[in-house]
Amino acid sequence: MAFLSKEASLALVQRVHRLIGIKNGSTPHGAPQPRRQRSAPRPGAEHFDVIVVGAGPAGSAAALVAARAGLKVLLLERGEYPGSKNVSGAAFYGSAILNELIPNWWEQAPVERYLTRRVLAFMTAETSVAIDFRTTRFAEPPYNGFSILRPKFDRWFADQAVAAGAFLLNAAVVDEVLWEDDQVVGVRVRRDEGDLRADVVIACDGANSFLAKNAGLQREFHAHEMSLGVKEVLELDEGAIRERFHLHDNDGLAIEYIGAITEEVSGGGFLYTNRDSLSLGVIGQISSLAEHRRRPYELLETFKRHPSVAPLVRGGRVREYSAHVIPEAGWNMLPKLYTGGMLVAGDAAALCFVAGLYLEGINYAIQSGMAAGEAAVAAHQERDFSARSLARYVERLRARHVLTDFASYRHAPGLVNSPRLQNLYPELIAAGAEQVFRVNGGPKRKLLPIALDTLRRANISPVHVLQDAWQAGRSFGW
Amino acid sequence: MRIAVCLKQVPDPATVEVDPLTAALDTRRLLYIASPADTAALEVALQLAGAEGHVSALCVGPPAADAVLRLALAAGATEARRLWTPFLPLQAPAQTALLLAAWLQRGEAPDLVLCGTRSSDQGSGQLPALLAEFLEWPVVCDVTQITLEGDLARVQRRLDRGAREELEVRLPAVLAVEAGIARLRHASLTGLMRAERAAIPVSELDDLGLEPADLAFPAATTRMVTPPRPRTRPIFTPDSTRPAHERITQIITAGVTRKSGKVLEGPPDQMAEVVVEFLRERGFV
Repeated sequence: MAFLSKEASLALVQRVHRLIGIKNGSTPHGAPQPRRQRSAPRPGAEHFDVIVVGAGPAGSAAALVAARAGLKVLLLERGEYPGSKNVSGAAFYGSAILNELIPNWWEQAPVERYLTRRVLAFMTAETSVAIDFRTTRFAEPPYNGFSILRPKFDRWFADQAVAAGAFLLNAAVVDEVLWEDDQVVGVRVRRDEGDLRADVVIACDGANSFLAKNAGLQREFHAHEMSLGVKEVLELDEGAIRERFHLHDNDGLAIEYIGAITEEVSGGGFLYTNRDSLSLGVIGQISSLAEHRRRPYELLETFKRHPSVAPLVRGGRVREYSAHVIPEAGWNMLPKLYTGGMLVAGDAAALCFVAGLYLEGINYAIQSGMAAGEAAVAAHQERDFSARSLARYVERLRARHVLTDFASYRHAPGLVNSPRLQNLYPELIAAGAEQVFRVNGGPKRKLLPIALDTLRRANISPVHVLQDAWQAGRSFGW
Repeated sequence: MRIAVCLKQVPDPATVEVDPLTAALDTRRLLYIASPADTAALEVALQLAGAEGHVSALCVGPPAADAVLRLALAAGATEARRLWTPFLPLQAPAQTALLLAAWLQRGEAPDLVLCGTRSSDQGSGQLPALLAEFLEWPVVCDVTQITLEGDLARVQRRLDRGAREELEVRLPAVLAVEAGIARLRHASLTGLMRAERAAIPVSELDDLGLEPADLAFPAATTRMVTPPRPRTRPIFTPDSTRPAHERITQIITAGVTRKSGKVLEGPPDQMAEVVVEFLRERGFV
């Protein structure tokens, strides 16, 4: 795995962005500048109790919690409306978490399907072996997860914060954090008279957070810590979706793919069913995309042509195409989560849980947003916005199992992105399964010889296998 | 200087999707913006009014159209008002103009009414003329430039084929501007927040002193709008009697050949025969 300097990794991110021809999805301001002179707010700037930057799931959750506590909350969104800039495969597994905030939220929110079927598929170029999990127990309230379309969902969620009393301002890009002594006291919006004061600023501005870097809380990322996801929404008839994916009325499935679909690039693929469309995409580690000179949309095309994917997407009309960076390194890229007057939540805090079995971000975003909102409320009760007072945010993240999850799975991202797990093991599984199921008149062998034979043919040293088994155990087992 | 600007909310063309089979619009995916010619009119109004001028933004539309008026307030309009009645037919330039005129005739009339020449969605271009008719004011459409001198407006107007016309109009008048002659300013944060917080007043038929029956205009109804038929374009095919290399040359030169002539010499009657033969060959005689 190529190790790159800060500058090189950033240049790579930008180059990959240019390669696939998208607008820079996560750094609205181009390259993050080296730490600049700290500016203070101009006199006469309007004051809020809490300013939340970014109206995604984390931001809206934080704004909702703070507004319910009676604080004067400003929610800033850079898009034309919340969700207009947001990309996600959009399987949302935090139903129970959101239920805590908004009881029976699914009755009013724009959800697509509740996920009762999870598939984990190992792929080679011709074969796929899948673990197919299905339960009707996920079809009962509060459900386990939903497929959602982010532009609709984020808009609805932000509206809940507005209904609770938060003031939402769209088309407002934040340019920098404002300081007084070593305390964050507001933000500067890229407009005339753009200074705003706040007791607490909560940065929820997404992956590769400009604000966290501007405040010196986050380091620059390495290209191997970030992945680029490209996603398409394919429109498909509701009946066709039900038949193709063996679904009843409104239940849905989520498939995660590992193996040859991303070819030599580290990454994976996903497919979720919406009401009358499919969300599907591939995720590729940025460093390995650059190393192999692959363009993400080529991978997406290869993915859609795979023999086990092609019949699922046949006849789908592309309705949306989008791309986004995903912070993948988990525990190792968590920023400093707070400083005087400021908290970082959601993807901005790299709270994106990517660990093979799991591909979760929105639930952690909402949980961290709630924790940040609660910390801001508690700080207001004591009128103390120092770093020491806001440190309770970390306690709340622990209490909500966010930090503990990331800590206990801290070895998983490295394992999941290793070349053997990415390509070799899926091939072994496929080759083994093929030997088990093929009937050609030869002797029917038992499973152990087949497994040993497969391993021997793969020319992999037993030491590596044991190493990987240890790694897998350490990542997922204990 | 009191200026009223009429704004219309239209679908963002980037979000318009048409089903190729049924030609139906996918309305679920539509997002709405202010019509580009109207935002140009708003910017012109803000420039003409200056700091102490009074710009009021008007819009005929459902509650969602408040977004357009907030845009105007954020950019610096003094006040905004939405006019609405559920009795409005779908495409209704006459009814829209009637509502606007009814509002403008109440209270202090503006010195100038600005609007876009045509909206970017239906684009009938009827509103400015109808509005001027109801107000009994002069109207100039396709305006590209406005300068004010007292109660006189010097106006440049676009004609076909790049021609321009310069006119003088006595105020009050309705001036309809072209899209793209001015770009709406970027609102300040203060302006944006003020606009977000503002309550937009609404006037319905009662407030305007109108009855639903006043909205009946049986005289003209647009039934269908057909896009212009694309011009037929001849596809070049090389002469099949020619040898291959000549056909290839014809294709790569796209059939463009130099003009060529032939000079005849000889006695007049022979030359006349050659000419007649030439003309007959090509079917002229």
